[in-house]
Amino acid sequence: MSFEWGESFKDLWPRFAPLLLLAALALAYFGQLRYDTWRFFDTPTVQDSFNNFIEPEPLKSPTAKAASLGATNFLSDIYWLELIQYYGGGDPYGTYRQLPALYQTITDLSPKFLAAYQSGLLVLPQEKFTDQAIALGEKGQQNLPKSWEIPYYEGLVYHVDKKDYLSAARQFQIAAAKPGAPAITKYFAGLYYKEAGSRQTAYVIFQTVYQTTTDPFVKDRAQKQIGHLGGLFALQDAVSAFQQKLHRNPKSFDELIAAKIIPALPVSPLGLKYTYDAVTGAVSDTK
Amino acid sequence: MKKIWAVAKNTFKETVRDKLLYALLGFAVLVIAGSLLAGSVSLGQDQRVIEDFSLTAMLVFLLIITLFIGTQLVRREVERKTIYLSLTKPISRDQFYLGKFVGLCLTSAVSAVVMGTIFLIVLYLKTKSFEWVALWAIGALILEIWLLTAVSLLFSSFAAPIASAIYTFGLVLVGHSSLTIWSIAQKSGGFLKGTLEAVYYVFPNLEKFNLRNEVVYHLHPNPTQTVAIILYFVGYTVAVLLLGMSVFRRHEF
Repeated sequence: MSFEWGESFKDLWPRFAPLLLLAALALAYFGQLRYDTWRFFDTPTVQDSFNNFIEPEPLKSPTAKAASLGATNFLSDIYWLELIQYYGGGDPYGTYRQLPALYQTITDLSPKFLAAYQSGLLVLPQEKFTDQAIALGEKGQQNLPKSWEIPYYEGLVYHVDKKDYLSAARQFQIAAAKPGAPAITKYFAGLYYKEAGSRQTAYVIFQTVYQTTTDPFVKDRAQKQIGHLGGLFALQDAVSAFQQKLHRNPKSFDELIAAKIIPALPVSPLGLKYTYDAVTGAVSDTK
Repeated sequence: MKKIWAVAKNTFKETVRDKLLYALLGFAVLVIAGSLLAGSVSLGQDQRVIEDFSLTAMLVFLLIITLFIGTQLVRREVERKTIYLSLTKPISRDQFYLGKFVGLCLTSAVSAVVMGTIFLIVLYLKTKSFEWVALWAIGALILEIWLLTAVSLLFSSFAAPIASAIYTFGLVLVGHSSLTIWSIAQKSGGFLKGTLEAVYYVFPNLEKFNLRNEVVYHLHPNPTQTVAIILYFVGYTVAVLLLGMSVFRRHEF
């Protein structure tokens, strides 16, 4: 009588199946328990942002063009969606270091993508990529010569980040000459040669961006800029009011609140910090 | 002509009975509708994303339909021995071959119309506007698929289905890389330059049919460009069909 493996397994299987099922369920339960313990109670040993693992690595433009097999706009859209996820996910290295490369690849794949230039000119300078923003603006002006928005936004970069008011005025003049440019652009071009350094000018420029754009991303950034500048101006005004009242500089922002000049410290919608120099009485912002 | 049309009608009926076609069409429609989802996270670029994603999906799925259904048709007839029934009738091999081509073109045109209609409906629901340029892009896409149908039939007249699908796909890769091939050729010299230029001119330049990138910017192709696309399609397709017919005529079953 020979021992048949197949036969004996077939006979034993119905008896062991419930046991196996129980074992599998127990394994899954302990696995879940262990996961929950780790997830909710363990001290994380690595303080890493998830973004560390999803930081985009855009292909160089010639490679991306070749890999797209003609679907350049499609690939550009993929990178655009990636950029949105990346920029909304927190900056793992203190700076969104892949932003310039992403904008470069997106606009190389889709050279007439206006929203990419607009958002790049607003976002890149905020992340201290001012020169890359200007280069993006120049590229945009070449690829979309009829757009008034690109020179206008580039003028904004020159004004706010470079403090180069002559270049800003030049950009506003270029924008004013384009078809469809709002009348206020011409006003800026004239105004700039007179009172370019005026803080109110930047505020009004952002307000124009907010009112004229249909792009929600650009609108959101412009609104946040307006809110941020509003907070900065409120603090500057409060410091001036304090100086006039007590004939000295306040020691800190807290003193402004204690003196009931401002009810509370404004919060920057851009996530920046308002800083104060007690010696000079200057209010500025920092990341 | 009647005989070609009779084979074409039968080929069309045969392909529309194929479950694979419905699976592919269903998946294509899902992807096109799914572009709404991608558009919703694009921060105001919905129209652009829907157009780019849908037109690319149409190309991919029409290509799959051509590769998997087109390359199997003749071989299936041989394997099932139904080709003997057809060829014993008063019909020449050329007429049979052309009928197969026309039938396949009909299938891909109907598939393109189904996908295109879904795409335009999705676009209209989202933007409340009709994109005329998209019709040009879809038209050019159909021409591209018809050319590739001729190519896949040529391959399937002498090679196994898998092999002809791979050859056709290879041609698609080369055809859509034509601009890259040309730019590399211009930067090279000597033998390599000559070879790459030969590849550029001999292989089908499928980028000629790529009007998909223009749709987003509402750029209509100019009449000269349109005529050039049609002439190129007619010339290349007729040449490939003649080549395919001569191979099919000599084929021993």
